[in-house]
Amino acid sequence: MALSENDVRGIADYARIALEGDELAQMTAYMNDAVDILAPILKYADEDVAPTFHPIGDLVNVMRDDAVDAERALPLNAALDNAGSSRGRMFRVPSILGDGGDN
Amino acid sequence: MKELAEVLKDWEAVIGLEIHTELTTLDTKMFCGCKLSHEDEPNANVCPVCLGLPGALPVPNRQAIRSIVKAGLATNCQIMKHSMFYRKHYFYPDMAKNFQTTQGPIAFCMHGHLDLEVTGRGAAERPACAFGEAEAQSLASASANAVGLSTSMSAQMPEGGTAGAPAHMAGYDTSHLQLAERHDDGSYTVPIRILRIHMEEDAAKMTHLGGEEGRITAAAESLIDYNRCGTPLIELVTEPDLRTPEEARLFMEKLRRIFLTLGISDCSMEHGSMRCDGNVSLRRRGETKLGTKTELKNLNSFKSLHDGLAYEICRQAEVLEEGGIIYQETRHWEPSRKRTVVMRVKETADDYRLFPDPDLAPYDLSDEFVDECRSELPELPDAKRARFEASFGIKRADAEQIAGDPETAAFFEAAAAGLSGKEAQTVANLIVNELVAYLKAAGSSLADSGLTPAQVAALAKLLASDAISSNQAHEVFGLMAESGDDPNKIVDARGMRQVSDTGALQPIVDEVLANCSDQAQQYRDGNQKVIGYLVGQCMKASRGKGNPKLFNELLRAALS
Amino acid sequence: MAETLNLDTLSAAQIASGIAAGEFSAAEVADAALAAVEAREPEVQAYLQVTPELTRAAAARVDAARAAGEPLPPLAGVPLAIKDNMNLIGTRTTCASRMLENYESPYTATCVARMLEAGCLPVGKANMDEFAFGSSTESSAFHRTNNPWDTERVPGGSSGGSAAAVAAGEATLALGSDTGGSIRQPASLCGVVGMKPTYGAVSRYGVVAFGSSLDQVGPFGRSVSDVSLAMNALVGAGKDPYDCTSQDCPVDFLEHLNDDIAGRRVGIIPAFMEAEGLMPEVKRAVELAAEKLVDQGAELVEVELPHLDAAIAAYYVIGPAEAFSNLARFDGVRYGYQEPMCATLAEQSSLSRAHGFGQEAKRRQMLGAYLLSSGVYDKYYYAAAKARTLITRDYAAAYQKVDTILMPASPRAAFKFGEISDPTQMYLSDMYTISLNIAGNGGISVPVGLGEDSQLPVAVQLQGPAFRDRDLLMFARAVERGFAGADGAPALSVAPGFAGKGGERA
Repeated sequence: MALSENDVRGIADYARIALEGDELAQMTAYMNDAVDILAPILKYADEDVAPTFHPIGDLVNVMRDDAVDAERALPLNAALDNAGSSRGRMFRVPSILGDGGDN
Repeated sequence: MKELAEVLKDWEAVIGLEIHTELTTLDTKMFCGCKLSHEDEPNANVCPVCLGLPGALPVPNRQAIRSIVKAGLATNCQIMKHSMFYRKHYFYPDMAKNFQTTQGPIAFCMHGHLDLEVTGRGAAERPACAFGEAEAQSLASASANAVGLSTSMSAQMPEGGTAGAPAHMAGYDTSHLQLAERHDDGSYTVPIRILRIHMEEDAAKMTHLGGEEGRITAAAESLIDYNRCGTPLIELVTEPDLRTPEEARLFMEKLRRIFLTLGISDCSMEHGSMRCDGNVSLRRRGETKLGTKTELKNLNSFKSLHDGLAYEICRQAEVLEEGGIIYQETRHWEPSRKRTVVMRVKETADDYRLFPDPDLAPYDLSDEFVDECRSELPELPDAKRARFEASFGIKRADAEQIAGDPETAAFFEAAAAGLSGKEAQTVANLIVNELVAYLKAAGSSLADSGLTPAQVAALAKLLASDAISSNQAHEVFGLMAESGDDPNKIVDARGMRQVSDTGALQPIVDEVLANCSDQAQQYRDGNQKVIGYLVGQCMKASRGKGNPKLFNELLRAALS
Repeated sequence: MAETLNLDTLSAAQIASGIAAGEFSAAEVADAALAAVEAREPEVQAYLQVTPELTRAAAARVDAARAAGEPLPPLAGVPLAIKDNMNLIGTRTTCASRMLENYESPYTATCVARMLEAGCLPVGKANMDEFAFGSSTESSAFHRTNNPWDTERVPGGSSGGSAAAVAAGEATLALGSDTGGSIRQPASLCGVVGMKPTYGAVSRYGVVAFGSSLDQVGPFGRSVSDVSLAMNALVGAGKDPYDCTSQDCPVDFLEHLNDDIAGRRVGIIPAFMEAEGLMPEVKRAVELAAEKLVDQGAELVEVELPHLDAAIAAYYVIGPAEAFSNLARFDGVRYGYQEPMCATLAEQSSLSRAHGFGQEAKRRQMLGAYLLSSGVYDKYYYAAAKARTLITRDYAAAYQKVDTILMPASPRAAFKFGEISDPTQMYLSDMYTISLNIAGNGGISVPVGLGEDSQLPVAVQLQGPAFRDRDLLMFARAVERGFAGADGAPALSVAPGFAGKGGERA
């Protein structure tokens, strides 16, 4: 089933990518082309094999000690200097208007 | 709106809790070595990982994994050896990566339960009709069509069902799950199933400026402090097995006592290191289909948890009884106005695009790892309470309160060691009444107070042997806490030792009766209450040193 | 001391030993490298940022160490180009994107730190396809990079700047990253050696992620032995405690480099040799390489990878899905382009991302966001993860029969700018490289000379089992040896249009 422009607009809203002008039409065309290329994968959905999410062989349980790593801590200016806007010691964002997060 | 008791006669409330607990007793964050602290200046404890800088990679904190395994063992969960971290995506700047690293369909801990003992006045919240066969049907239908997780991967849930068990019991060890049964005193015990406890990371703290009361909706801008971002967080999700606000409150209290005893968190609801969201829906008694649920936020104290749920139950009942409909929405409890208000409406299920985090190796926990965690489990509050009741002979309520706080429990055990049952109960009384009140007034913790178990034991002996009165004990408690002195020394120095020699007290009684012939006559005429006045006069005459109990006895004897 | 210091003809080992022996100083190497960059860069445009201060500071450290009588590290004084998706304090890390145009690296990537500890002189940050999405470096937001063998053609990608810098003699070694061929394909198009080690051999910490389960850092050089030296530097210190997926790989990559390959088995995949789109000159190059290996005593064995048809599809599911996730953090709040004058956060995020990212970066993220969505995940991502198991098993079965597999790296030599404009057509230029990343094994592209028809560099690719990267280098060296000139030098060196240019001292 092909993706409609409406579907693509919904994905763009979710992914926080504003599509302007004829970008919506172009993106819709691209996504449908790309999804066509991916068709060969569909038949593997029902394969009776365990999925591989990590190409790391038998590597498991990688953990670190609960020890403070002071060396890696960033000084305040290193943390804030790349930010588009900040106030005092904090990062700043414009009005959230009740949008988004629920944690 | 109707009262809760009235509502719950007609309606069944189906309640589930999601409880987040920060592992505050660790030294560092979940996936990086940044210091954990609630106190430091904003953005003082950040690094490339917790700030989500391009190229940074997470490495899990072993101690956090041990903590969650202990939490699972202490709540009768199965420890899942094979699990993974997943990425849960939503765009919100308190998540530095715009995804939260959490767990997928399989959490470290699955399918546990806690037995909830509901006693006292709160037990009356569950009406008589909610026991027996009705309860069995209610449980089966509630969890069978409850939505456990908002993940897109329910198809990949592990098999794991208990053979022959009803669908809603899949995964649970049913031999431990008994239906609630009400005792003559109104109390009952009900098992609350725990769907899962998973490991995740906390978000940053945001401050909303320019709006009313710091509320997000009207704020002109928001400021972000990433110190908290990446704090190890465990989320416990119950099955929708709770039926009253009191049960919810007791569950939370019980869980808090367990986590405190495990030493995995300071469990401060005030500071947000333990947080609770509630899901609640109503259905008519006997109905098997679940109603639409609302999600309650800001239930950040035991009182809020109870009162917020109670309000929401009554609100939903009113809406439904007026023929209205409940919308699936998130609501905010406002304790000052005693109401819940809409935060946001969920029209469709959130799509978090969960997938296994490729940066984190999967888990294959060994038996040794789990056994080591098990071997480090301390005595849990229920066992400790039972032991305090059995070996010290103290009252159940006191034992429960003392056993629930590991520091207090250790203090009690040290103080009560070698004491008689009466003395031990006196120690318990002093802890539950005097100690708690003193620490609260002094704004101090037990450890910082300087009080020793030996002091409290000595004071208990004085009190139990009637050497001093309760009023005097209160005074001595304050003095010994301030000075660090032995209570015997204080009592002797101040000449407070109570006179319990009948020979010395009888003349005082005689004198008082002579002076208060009116009151004496009233007593003889049947006014028992007047004895208090007479005891007071005796105390006054003895300058506070006479044993009030003995005075009482001598007065009654003289007047009979 | 030499009157002129021509870095074009010196190997990494020769530079290090020349400095150690006092034939020339690291400062002179730095000057020569920077002079070459100055002279050649206008025509190549391999770099996004050249860092003379860092180059000279690193050289001064090497010279000071030598003056103090300290032992010099193995790559002392070797000029290094660093792909611009790798953090290095003192440089911007832009990923060739407007999104990160002004992003100053707050920390240094482990792979970069290890190369610098081994004595390398950082010359600059190399151009790339934006966020590594591409096979031609044309999607860089800043400028194109020209193939040093024909400046009207692409250098390949995404590590096109790294490959071009080495091919043009603007660096002796370079670091790249390979998610679906981004080291091996540009190495092939630029006529240099490029290695994608086994996933986990090299730390990814500090390398801006594209596809976390596919990405791997690796070196470029003009000879297999230079690449082996770089591998020692990248891997030798063991696994990185900052990268959960990195693993110990305790071998000396030089130890068996020149071993005899007599009796070893080399796999050929017949389906690969007949694939549509494979240019005859590339096919002949692979056949010739096979002959050269047989001449050295190797045995050719035909093998099959039955689920290969799924590899490209699996890659274009897993890659965009992981890319969407990894690039979600670029919201203009903590770093990166921030759209000015936005009233709300949602507007600021959406416009910052719309204007900060180029088209291909947006396309991949959109595709990824779709593929991970509820209901779609099971059909595509989960299916791709299963196909991944089968492809990995295919390789394991093949390596029961052979020690290495020989194949093309790219189906064709360098193409012209704009020649492939359809993004989905561009994806097919990775047809020989992608399956390796799916399995996580190691692979290497080795130049074998100029194509008969194009007169442009052509190369072969060798693939090997996981964590057998040392054997892979041995086979690569055998191929290189087979095509070496009478003087023993590799078939190709610095591109003729640039050799000697600016490297001489006035």
